[in-house]
Amino acid sequence: MIQEVCPVEWLSRQFSTRVIVLMPIAIAINIVLGATVQQALKLPIYLDSIGTILVGVVAGPVAGMLTGVLSNLIWGYLLPAPIGTTTIGPFAITAGVIGLLAGLWGRLGLFRSRRGERSSIPGAVVAIILVGALAIYTYARAYASPTDFQNITGFDPTAIDQSRIFFLVILVIFVALIAVALFLRRDVGAVYAIGAGLVTGIAAAIVSAPIAAVVFGGVTGSGTDLLVAAFRAGGDSLVSATLKQGLLSDPMDKMITSFVVFFIIGNLSQRFIARFPNGERLVSSSM
Amino acid sequence: MTVDRPTGSSPTPPDFVLQAPSGAYLSLNPVTKLLVAAAEVEAAFLIGTWTGPVLVLLLVLASAAIAGVVSRLAVIVAVTVPIVASILLINGFLYPGAVDVIVRLGPLAPSVSGFAFGLQITLRLLAASLALALAYLTTRTDDLLSDLERRGFGRRATYVIGSAVETVPRTVDRAAEIVDAQRSRGMDTEGRWWRRVRGIVPLAAPVVFGALTEVEERTMALEARAFSTPGPRTILRVLPDAPWQRLVRYGLLLGLIAVIVGRITGPLGALP
Amino acid sequence: MSLRLEGVSYRYAGSAADVLSGIDLVVEPGEVVGLVGANEAGKTTVCLVAAGLAPATIGGRLEGTVRIDDLDTAAARPYESAQHCGSLFQNPATQLSGTAATVWEEIAFGPRNLALPLAEVVVRVDEAVRLLAIADLVQRDPARLSGGQAQLVALAGVLALRPAYLILDEPTSQLDPQGTRLVGDALGALAAHAHAGVLIVEHKTDLLAGLASRVAVIEAGRLVTDGPAATTLGDERLPAWGVQPPSSVRLARAAAAAGVSLV
Repeated sequence: MIQEVCPVEWLSRQFSTRVIVLMPIAIAINIVLGATVQQALKLPIYLDSIGTILVGVVAGPVAGMLTGVLSNLIWGYLLPAPIGTTTIGPFAITAGVIGLLAGLWGRLGLFRSRRGERSSIPGAVVAIILVGALAIYTYARAYASPTDFQNITGFDPTAIDQSRIFFLVILVIFVALIAVALFLRRDVGAVYAIGAGLVTGIAAAIVSAPIAAVVFGGVTGSGTDLLVAAFRAGGDSLVSATLKQGLLSDPMDKMITSFVVFFIIGNLSQRFIARFPNGERLVSSSM
Repeated sequence: MTVDRPTGSSPTPPDFVLQAPSGAYLSLNPVTKLLVAAAEVEAAFLIGTWTGPVLVLLLVLASAAIAGVVSRLAVIVAVTVPIVASILLINGFLYPGAVDVIVRLGPLAPSVSGFAFGLQITLRLLAASLALALAYLTTRTDDLLSDLERRGFGRRATYVIGSAVETVPRTVDRAAEIVDAQRSRGMDTEGRWWRRVRGIVPLAAPVVFGALTEVEERTMALEARAFSTPGPRTILRVLPDAPWQRLVRYGLLLGLIAVIVGRITGPLGALP
Repeated sequence: MSLRLEGVSYRYAGSAADVLSGIDLVVEPGEVVGLVGANEAGKTTVCLVAAGLAPATIGGRLEGTVRIDDLDTAAARPYESAQHCGSLFQNPATQLSGTAATVWEEIAFGPRNLALPLAEVVVRVDEAVRLLAIADLVQRDPARLSGGQAQLVALAGVLALRPAYLILDEPTSQLDPQGTRLVGDALGALAAHAHAGVLIVEHKTDLLAGLASRVAVIEAGRLVTDGPAATTLGDERLPAWGVQPPSSVRLARAAAAAGVSLV
């Protein structure tokens, strides 16, 4: 699947005029939706990566990474308030990782529409098992120490396993999203896309945790701060608290975002998608 | 295409295109101001725990006074107040493992070391944000991009950043129009969070798809203006620069590296 | 020296059917050729192919040859074709680069892309401004222009490349009547003074009647007629091809039908 292409040529193919035109539009989508969610909804999701993942999937990893990094830098440092905000810039690293991973998923063909492809179902089941195993392992390690809720909720620490709770939350959301996707579009490809979103979310949480801890002391001004505070009240170190909060918000956010991107790609004209570097991997064979 | 041309046409761009920034600090080369900001951010995080941020804050305030942007800087400080307050409160009240607790109120245990930690983070954050805000307030984006392009940035990078900065307000306006249109059709924009979440899709979908349909048209338009010609393009304006600024920039770059080394090997970390 | 399409057939990538079949079209320097047809007849495709943008920018399969003077578009990159054949499209907002602070800089976008010396860039911008008489707009912010003004600025930007041919794809279709008049007048002046060959696609046959010396009709990807403007625009088969004749023709027919003499 990795073609023998000179790196310079591969890079310049990723940045055709069309991609150069798409990037600022994707950056604007990131910023406008992210700002709307942050200022109006105050939910523990961000929805500021739709553009990044879209560019990564259709144009490639480097384009995706740059879209993410530039979105954060422009949002944080080039736009005046009320849109501009102080707490976004340092997370450019996370955004870069998200874009990079999206490029990988795009090349692997995970965002291709697989409507009515019965043959994809066994593959989808395998994907679910793999992703599930990864998630179980990550959550068990992250929430392992039972320094915990007791101080706040009064529950006996051994009675509730934090890792199980949060893993269950993520699992429910994962299943719910897949169910919605399958019901709405009968498209097995959604499973791959949402699974990719879960993995991306875990990676994003791991990368963001030290940034949030070191640069911001765990407080970034979004609705998730109280969650971090709760973990810290339970005795967690700063990094551990931000990681635990991240592992709740990021996978949820990235699964939703990935599904949205999958939906967008499915609804754009095939003619248009085919003109992007990753085009052939996104055009479904049934068309 | 041949056209009769009158004699005596001027071969330089008009003044309103060539405009160079003027004023103390403002007339510095954009990359100089950028490097200064980068060095200040690094100093705020890596030099000691209090020394760095305090020094940087003083430097930033002095530069802002010279440039005449203190009032606008104050506005930015005001915007960061909620974050700063949150950081102080949460860290002050919930710092785990503190031994110098003032009073215990249920799960909340305000402690001196907690507030001290919160204050450190706050000062660092404030110093870094203000350093970057100073660069933003004293530099036109257009100037910065022109200068970077002259140094080899490339037209595509300049286009992406310049276009993004222009597209965001446009997209915000379009989103506002869509919200208005849907409100007049009865969409619920206030109210329970559940309804607001549901309201996102009919807002986000037209914004996203509307923005994406522009891609083909804009691609054609750029190609029709020979945008994909390889190589650097003509420079319209040269931003002022001076040998002493070049020296300062090299000094700053060396300083950036020295600070990292100093922090790792010890001396800078030992500062208060 | 001319813009020639010879035996041109084209299909979009991933498409099973040809959108254009066997198109033969010639535009000589100095003449204005109009192209009319129903929606989806292939007019925009002809524009993209003639300008060298298809298949270079969008893929697809081209048969036949497209020559812009002695440049074969099959072998040319889009930026090479753009210097010989300029294109203007419908939507003024998306034609502007969006990165220029003033109209002057917007017009300079094209020449700058070619890495021309600065003095040459200035000369070309001044020339384009004079050709379209938009000197009062040069300091304005391109984002705040009316549709008609923006379209003129976009046209100036294309003219600054000094193409020998111009392709205009429904330049007034998204403009209000005032903008249409503005652009129409500018195109008239341009046609009178410049020596470029122009291919203009328009629904507004009234506009074409004043501008074009020749008019061709395209239907379902084929050219069904190609002749002097008066002949084609007076052709009785126009409505059958999905084209509304100019008002003067409709008026004459209505008068004739009512037995009224207009002479």
